[in-house]
Amino acid sequence: MILATECDVANEVICAPAQVSDLFEFDTWFTIGGLEFTKTTFLMLLAAVIVVVLLYFGLKGRHLVPTKLNVMIEGLVGFVRDGIARDVIGPEGGKYLPYLLSIFFFILVGNLFEVTPLINFPITSRMAIPAFLAIVTYFIFTIIGFQKNNFRYLIDTVWPKSVPVGMRPLVGLIELVSVFVLRPLTLAVRLFANMMAGHLMLTLLLGSGVIFLASVGEIGARSLIGIPWLAFGLFIFLFEIVVSVLQAYIFTLLSAVYIESSIHFEH
Amino acid sequence: MEGNIEELRSAIALIGYGLGAIGPGIGIGIVAGNAITAMARQPEMQGTIRTTMFLGIAFTEALALIGFVLFFIA
Repeated sequence: MILATECDVANEVICAPAQVSDLFEFDTWFTIGGLEFTKTTFLMLLAAVIVVVLLYFGLKGRHLVPTKLNVMIEGLVGFVRDGIARDVIGPEGGKYLPYLLSIFFFILVGNLFEVTPLINFPITSRMAIPAFLAIVTYFIFTIIGFQKNNFRYLIDTVWPKSVPVGMRPLVGLIELVSVFVLRPLTLAVRLFANMMAGHLMLTLLLGSGVIFLASVGEIGARSLIGIPWLAFGLFIFLFEIVVSVLQAYIFTLLSAVYIESSIHFEH
Repeated sequence: MEGNIEELRSAIALIGYGLGAIGPGIGIGIVAGNAITAMARQPEMQGTIRTTMFLGIAFTEALALIGFVLFFIA
């Protein structure tokens, strides 16, 4: 997290990495067939492994008295099934539960890496990962839309029957852009922007707090300014836990809503 | 004094994003405020209202997010 440790605190206390992208780009560990393997790649695989292991041990076997892990995982799975899939999509929501469950757990673990000690890097703050997940959602709801409604899906989008004739070209244009361009774009950018802003804020506040306090020998009483920074940083730390869970929930919820709007296209 | 057009461009993009965030800010305030009113009136509908509130916030937020993207592009 703290990359800005080598700084000159004696004269003018300015601790900043050369570029802000230094916080998000890491050195290549090794290369496999042209693909660079970095910390982000490793964390991505780690998140997938964590999800699989948690679900496997959380749902393995039926104990008479459920263990703590059982209760936790069953609670989360039940939340996605009842709170998102069945609540939003309806009775046929069970069909889309595997996808919704996968993205919910993957994004949740990926987001919580931000507040995990020793890792402190949310993989969803790299645009590639939210963009890929949003593209998958985009393909799913577009294909379902064409599957369930044939070409009425496209035609009714650009020429909506429920508005007066004079307004139809305008509303149709807005709908077309909104459904096929803005939906996947905002889905990806929302997650990316929230996690990136959170990571920047945590690095800034906790980093400056730690650097100020650590350099107490060189700048004396002036290092006390680090205490409010650290306190504010710890408050934001708690806030970021809430944001992580909320963004995973919102991404899954919106995916479900988009799928639902393709299935029940009439309204 | 020589002007740096690159710096000027990113500064204008920053201002533009700031202006673009005003509308969604107001909109999200209205959505959340009305959702709280609704929840206070009918606590038994809390789950549905919360889901709808997040949806409303998500759609309102889209404008701010477009501004955010434009800030990167500029």
